[in-house]
Amino acid sequence: MSGRSGAVSSSTTLRDAPRFDRWRHRFGVATAASTLVLVFIGGLVTSTGSGLSVPDWPLSYGMLMPPMVGGVFYEHTHRMVASLVGLLTLILAVWTARAEQRAGVRRLAWAALAVVIAQGVLGGLTVIYLLPTPVSVAHACLAQTFFCIVIALAYVTSREWLAASASPVDASGLRGAALTAAIVVYVQLVIGAVMRHIGAGLAIPDFPLAFGRLVPPLTSGPVLVHFAHRIGALVVLVAVARLLVRARRARDPRLLRLAGALFGLVLLQISLGAATVLTTKAVTPTTLHVATGAAILGGSWLMTLRAFRLRRPAPDVAAAPAGQPVPQS
Amino acid sequence: MSTRSSLAVLALVGLPLLACGGGAKEEAAPPPGPAATAAAPAAPAGGGATSGTASISGKISFEGTAPAPEKIKTSADPKCQAMHPQGLERQTIDATGGGLKDVLVYVKSGVSGTYAAPTEPVLLDQRGCMYHPHIITVQAGQPLKIRNSDDTLHNIHPRPTVNQEFNIGQPRKDMESTKTFDKAEVPIPVGCDVHPWMRSYIAVLNHPFFAVTKEDGTYEIKGLPAGDYEIEAWHEKLKTQSLKVTVKDGEKAKADFSYKS
Repeated sequence: MSGRSGAVSSSTTLRDAPRFDRWRHRFGVATAASTLVLVFIGGLVTSTGSGLSVPDWPLSYGMLMPPMVGGVFYEHTHRMVASLVGLLTLILAVWTARAEQRAGVRRLAWAALAVVIAQGVLGGLTVIYLLPTPVSVAHACLAQTFFCIVIALAYVTSREWLAASASPVDASGLRGAALTAAIVVYVQLVIGAVMRHIGAGLAIPDFPLAFGRLVPPLTSGPVLVHFAHRIGALVVLVAVARLLVRARRARDPRLLRLAGALFGLVLLQISLGAATVLTTKAVTPTTLHVATGAAILGGSWLMTLRAFRLRRPAPDVAAAPAGQPVPQS
Repeated sequence: MSTRSSLAVLALVGLPLLACGGGAKEEAAPPPGPAATAAAPAAPAGGGATSGTASISGKISFEGTAPAPEKIKTSADPKCQAMHPQGLERQTIDATGGGLKDVLVYVKSGVSGTYAAPTEPVLLDQRGCMYHPHIITVQAGQPLKIRNSDDTLHNIHPRPTVNQEFNIGQPRKDMESTKTFDKAEVPIPVGCDVHPWMRSYIAVLNHPFFAVTKEDGTYEIKGLPAGDYEIEAWHEKLKTQSLKVTVKDGEKAKADFSYKS
């Protein structure tokens, strides 16, 4: 009985051990990358004022493929890429449901599918109800949430997650710093989305000062929101700088590289924000500002996941061949 | 996950994807017959029947230097570009005819009684990737016929603040749609989000006493009953001016306006 029991126990351990599935992981990474491209194209739709150039949804002028002229080019491209991301998410969810052993990861994959469907419906509502601000803002924010979910899906299927760390990371303060940065960046993105969709992007027309002062007269809603976004940029800068300092202390080159890249992206993002104001919302800097914001959020979120994961020491299984079980830490 | 569950999820996600395709759905009316074409007067035609015998006419003059015409890039739509091989320009302040063109002049106050909206539609035409006319006038409740005379698609998107906003597409040449604004509102900007340079204004009034200035800046409002009126002139860039005018039955009053740059 005991021998039989022991055999069952051994078998269960092997079956339950998460396996590194290279292709599923790569598919998750590709889905995340496609999502970032989609965010950029969605930004283009708003930057070019093309959000209502296709007045119907889900059809486009009653067609599968309308003439790609003027604003239709941006809006319909956004719809096509969104459909592609939806399809990739569906495949990822079904693949994960069939191949993944961890119930939590399976649930995450279904959550990604539910969110991408909700996001598509929100996109349709923006068209049908002629860009109501709350729906447009929700559409912008849910895109970022979906991006984070897909990043998580890609990361938890990575060799790094499965193997944890060969060398324990000194996580003192790193996890808190990373989580704080991710939350601060998300809030900043929400403020940015509100600013963009209430048309307050130029409510303060000068930079770096605001109406020639450090603090503008906060007498109108648009000025208030715009100024909050500028203050938010400083808060993000401080949060990511703190993260960089903590990553240096952690002495893990992987984390330091990511934190350094994040800091660079924040500096780029502030420059793009300035360019957006100074060029009176030229399409290129404005759209890059949106996409870079998403990249910073994705990076901060990935940093958070890694900080939480890599704090745990684990056996070095980095060399484990693909498809082989990896002991869980 | 079971096969049935997989299929259900496939159907759920696939529906919107499939919905992006399919055949064209005709939302708007078929191409117009001769009667419909003939029934569409161009602005500045007035609205419905009037009972009075007085009129107010005048000229809108412009002093100063009008800005240079705005050059419009139409390369985003090759068909629009082909319609304007020499390029497209828009003169927002057009005083080349001796007076200021495209000024809406209307009775802002002093009108008593109600005036039934005409059933005859007013035409807003999309031709050469521009709106014709630039300023269009209708009575509240009067049909506005919108036609696409171009071999390219347009969307028609008025942005009223009082009336109901709408956004409709006309993907094919000669499509027509008819819309009605229920409440008086001056002006309602109209645009095409496909071709951002396309811009027009609709004036909706609850009486027929309005006009739009011709190339020489002149206008005439006919059929007014005797009374004291406030006449307002509105220009998209130069904004509004108003005058008080008193007319008696059969009288032809003058009300000139002058804008400066």
